[in-house]
Amino acid sequence: MRDRIPFGDPSWCAALQSEINASSEYRNAAAKWGVGFNGNLLFGFEADASLPAPLHLLLGLAEGRCTRAEFVPGSKHPEAGFTLRAPFALWREILERRTLAATAILTGKMKVEGDKLTLLKHAGASRALIHCVASVPTEFPPAR
Amino acid sequence: MTALKNELQGKVAGSVRAGAEVSPAETTNFGHLFHSTPRLVLEPRGADDVTAAIGFARAKGLTLATRGAGHSQSHVGISDGGILLSMVSMGRVLRVDPDALTVDVEAGITWGDLLRHLEPLGLAPPVLTNNLNVTVGGTLSIAGIGVASFRHGTQGDQVVEIDVATGSGDLVTCGPEREPDLFWSVIAGLGQVGIVTRARLRLRRVKPMTRTYYLLYDDVRRFMEDARQAMDSNRWDHLESWASPSPQGTKPVNGRRQVFARWFYPFHPTVEFDPQSPPDDRALLDGLRPSEQLYVDDLPTYEFFARLTPVFDLWKRGGTWEHVHAWTESVMPWETTPDLLDAILPDLPPSILVGGHILLWPAKGTTSRSRLFMRPAGEDLMGFGVLPAIPPQFWADAKPMVDVVSRLSIAMGGKRYLSGFVEFTDAEWREHFGPMWEPFVQAKRRWDPDGILNPGFVPLDARRAVAQPTA
Repeated sequence: MRDRIPFGDPSWCAALQSEINASSEYRNAAAKWGVGFNGNLLFGFEADASLPAPLHLLLGLAEGRCTRAEFVPGSKHPEAGFTLRAPFALWREILERRTLAATAILTGKMKVEGDKLTLLKHAGASRALIHCVASVPTEFPPAR
Repeated sequence: MTALKNELQGKVAGSVRAGAEVSPAETTNFGHLFHSTPRLVLEPRGADDVTAAIGFARAKGLTLATRGAGHSQSHVGISDGGILLSMVSMGRVLRVDPDALTVDVEAGITWGDLLRHLEPLGLAPPVLTNNLNVTVGGTLSIAGIGVASFRHGTQGDQVVEIDVATGSGDLVTCGPEREPDLFWSVIAGLGQVGIVTRARLRLRRVKPMTRTYYLLYDDVRRFMEDARQAMDSNRWDHLESWASPSPQGTKPVNGRRQVFARWFYPFHPTVEFDPQSPPDDRALLDGLRPSEQLYVDDLPTYEFFARLTPVFDLWKRGGTWEHVHAWTESVMPWETTPDLLDAILPDLPPSILVGGHILLWPAKGTTSRSRLFMRPAGEDLMGFGVLPAIPPQFWADAKPMVDVVSRLSIAMGGKRYLSGFVEFTDAEWREHFGPMWEPFVQAKRRWDPDGILNPGFVPLDARRAVAQPTA
């Protein structure tokens, strides 16, 4: 059992990057992700009852590899090709597999900035990425 | 209950059943997702019985649902405490006119029974569904599509005229030029404004034999190029295609290993012919570039029409006919179809197709005049259907994936074909019908003023709740 890493900590980002790059599931599913387009993702975790302040995670992603993972300030980033934004509670539902990320996107509960069609075409890559995020042993902030 | 039954029985010639006389099969449909018990079941003898039942339902404040072969999957063909009209009791061929090439039938006849009647005459409807054990009235209320739709549109486009018992109890004869607003509100109208009691259908003369070429493609884009060429070439009478999995092993999906497949695209163009002048294979196939040509099958044409019956029989014998069917069929823009397949197929476990299949039907959007058969704009379209048989114990796990397939198809510009499992919100229903929503609502108010017909599916009448699956 790996120690849980506080969500939002730089070490959590490092763990996530390792998780992605060790995942054959992601490597295969995302082999065409970021090929010919900017595949970098900015995840916006919006503040709610269990997240006191918003967090923004930038992932550098191309061809099944993660080149960068860090929390960045601000809700926009010039290097992001896509931004996925949702209340933290919804992210928790997705990471705990109670809601499919694709469903959250398709129902509009998760807001997408960037070419939604490209994101949907690569639904397998998104699904595998979410699985990697969910696989990081995480200490989430307690609900207030 | 008995008093109500006797009261209705006194007004109709057909038999009325209630309570224990209601068959368990009549409380659900092919989807096995919804379960409702009707208060009364009427097997009407004719149009008079249907209008009498409508008058009775209005007077008693009951709803009235129509059921053909029960092949629906949403809250269709079942009744929650109202009257269920079991239309298969109206299954007669009334008149064939070989000169005008038309046939008059009662709406409860199945396409298979109609074909058995027409075979000695060498006639057939231009468009047939793959499953012939569905009723004329049932498929006309959805639109009715088949492997000849790329040439002839929907079954609804092949209707000369129909008799409709409206929700206000009138029996009206209508057609594309006669009472067209009613006609086009009934065709693909989900039984919302009236009940078809008689249909005059267009026929065509068939050639005695068919030749089907079993072509296999390993690339969806090349398959689609050839499918488009086949549609435009005017060489073919029927075009059928599929996505077919070849299991390759297991891979992790959400951390759990599941079987994954390499997908192939069987394409079966078919031509009818007279035995004296067999088709020129080389000329027909000229320009097509399959990875392989597997088989060439000559079949009597009426056997070709029933080519899937042995498959369905196998599913029945195997037990999967009784599984949950949450079919997701969509009419897709040609351009986004490969993207949709790329998004869906890699993670689709091939095992869900035990007792099911994935359809790809090239089609022409301009071949149909139906107002309520919603389809994307554009000439070339692709019918796409994921048609699984899901063991009931897996339905809870499968439902989110079924939902994603439906939503993805819509997000990529598709329109759902409404014979399958559809679970739209009110806003999604409006989006589905787009500019036809308000005319549809107005038609409902005009011809079914009490909102008694077929509640529980499309929410045209705010007084009637849409049903939720009970599986």
